[in-house]
Amino acid sequence: MTTQIARMLASKAKDEGRLCYITNCIRYLESRNLSLREYWQAGAERVGGDRVSADAEAVALSLEMLNSVGIRASVDLGSMSVIRKLMDRFKINDYKRLTGAIGSKSIDDLRKVTGDRNAIETFTLLMTKRGKAEMIRAIADKAGCLEDEYEYFRDLYRALDAYGCASSVFVDLSTIREMAYYNDLVFEIFTWGIGLPIGGGGRYDAMMKDFGINTTATGFALSIDLCVRALGGPQGNSNETLKVYYQDGFRDKGIELARRLRGSGKCCTLDAYKGERSGILVGEKAVKIESGEEYEP
Amino acid sequence: MSPDPDRQERIILALPNKGRMREPALNLLKSAGVSVTGDDRSYLSKTSNPGIDLLSVRAADIPVYVYYGIADLGITGRDIVAETGLEVYELADLGFGCCNLVVAVDKDSGIRSPSEIPHGSKVATEFPNVTKAYFDELGVLVETITLRGAVEIAPRLGLATAIVDISSTGATLEKNRLSAIGKVMSSSARLICNKISYKTKYDKVEEITNRLRVSP
Repeated sequence: MTTQIARMLASKAKDEGRLCYITNCIRYLESRNLSLREYWQAGAERVGGDRVSADAEAVALSLEMLNSVGIRASVDLGSMSVIRKLMDRFKINDYKRLTGAIGSKSIDDLRKVTGDRNAIETFTLLMTKRGKAEMIRAIADKAGCLEDEYEYFRDLYRALDAYGCASSVFVDLSTIREMAYYNDLVFEIFTWGIGLPIGGGGRYDAMMKDFGINTTATGFALSIDLCVRALGGPQGNSNETLKVYYQDGFRDKGIELARRLRGSGKCCTLDAYKGERSGILVGEKAVKIESGEEYEP
Repeated sequence: MSPDPDRQERIILALPNKGRMREPALNLLKSAGVSVTGDDRSYLSKTSNPGIDLLSVRAADIPVYVYYGIADLGITGRDIVAETGLEVYELADLGFGCCNLVVAVDKDSGIRSPSEIPHGSKVATEFPNVTKAYFDELGVLVETITLRGAVEIAPRLGLATAIVDISSTGATLEKNRLSAIGKVMSSSARLICNKISYKTKYDKVEEITNRLRVSP
């Protein structure tokens, strides 16, 4: 959806703002591809703003969204600008083969791209280690460049720390997004037990310029299908889903309780009370229907 | 189906259930301190390391199990990974199962290189995707025919002008009066990893990878 949103913003000459969406997408795939042709995704885009602040906001929001529905996720950061600068530093021209080697952590493929020993050592370090901002320091020391990138990542981690999510964010520079429009930070979001990234995003300033707007942009999208799978399937786990009912005139209080429960990571449903014999009933007070005891979430 | 909570603590390593790579893979694991306990022909086996289970499946299916995260790690041929085209990490060249994927034609065909194969020719192979990509890059338009074994007899029976098949010593090609005229790729056994397992089980994956790398 990122391309469509960038085009829409360009058509409205909008160079500052925040947008979000939940929609179904349809893509063309070769028949051998194992992915879905139609899928649902939710995303958010930040247009304009300071580079570090906007990137941190996008990463933090993605984790907060997942946390709010009970998915504990982590993020891996990559950087297309780091790869471009290292390509310039080591005079490597074959971007496609290099990113293919990095994306699959294949040192054999890397050796086919360059024979420069220092380049191989630097890219091997980049591909095989995962950590925090000091990862960039180690690569910068090896390559003799990337000082700006190191400062950017340090500042990004300070901002992520302020959002309270720095411990869930790692630097793995073999994180490559397939979409060519990302020109700087890229990131992938994942949770254990799901073999594929459940979301991802990055910075795409260059595409905004291609559409004729001189602004910056960053954003992300989450796969709703994979989030549903991470939560245990479309029906959820009935043993863990709390059923909340409200009496006539107490719908607002019911909604408030449901939001609090979901905000704390619990799954719940909310319906008007029609004589059910189990669950939580919201009236003047919230009570457990089975026992009549007051309910405290 | 929701993720199995027990899986968070364990590594499942997929390896071929038969064929030329199974025994070297088991030997490598043994030298890294991981031995199968119980029936090693069972599709899911426990090992001497309580944190590692082995999944025995067809070598050709291992990238699929790893891609979807059913197995965290897998040992299979690089040719097979390339054929599936699935995005997995390739953490180590394990140094066995070495072979070349070659283009071969009948010795008497007069064709000396892949670019001399006439446009529209049929090429029989077990690797249709790699074959198509190879000839596309070469600019030669061929029709790939997918076979599931005994590919080397296709030219003699008139099914195909050429074949793309694995060759270790060249003996099978020689026996079937074929000559290799081009190399598509070199292959050997690789340790592959699911991208999310690499991140969520980083320490364990790194430990196993290092042990397999340094094992003789």
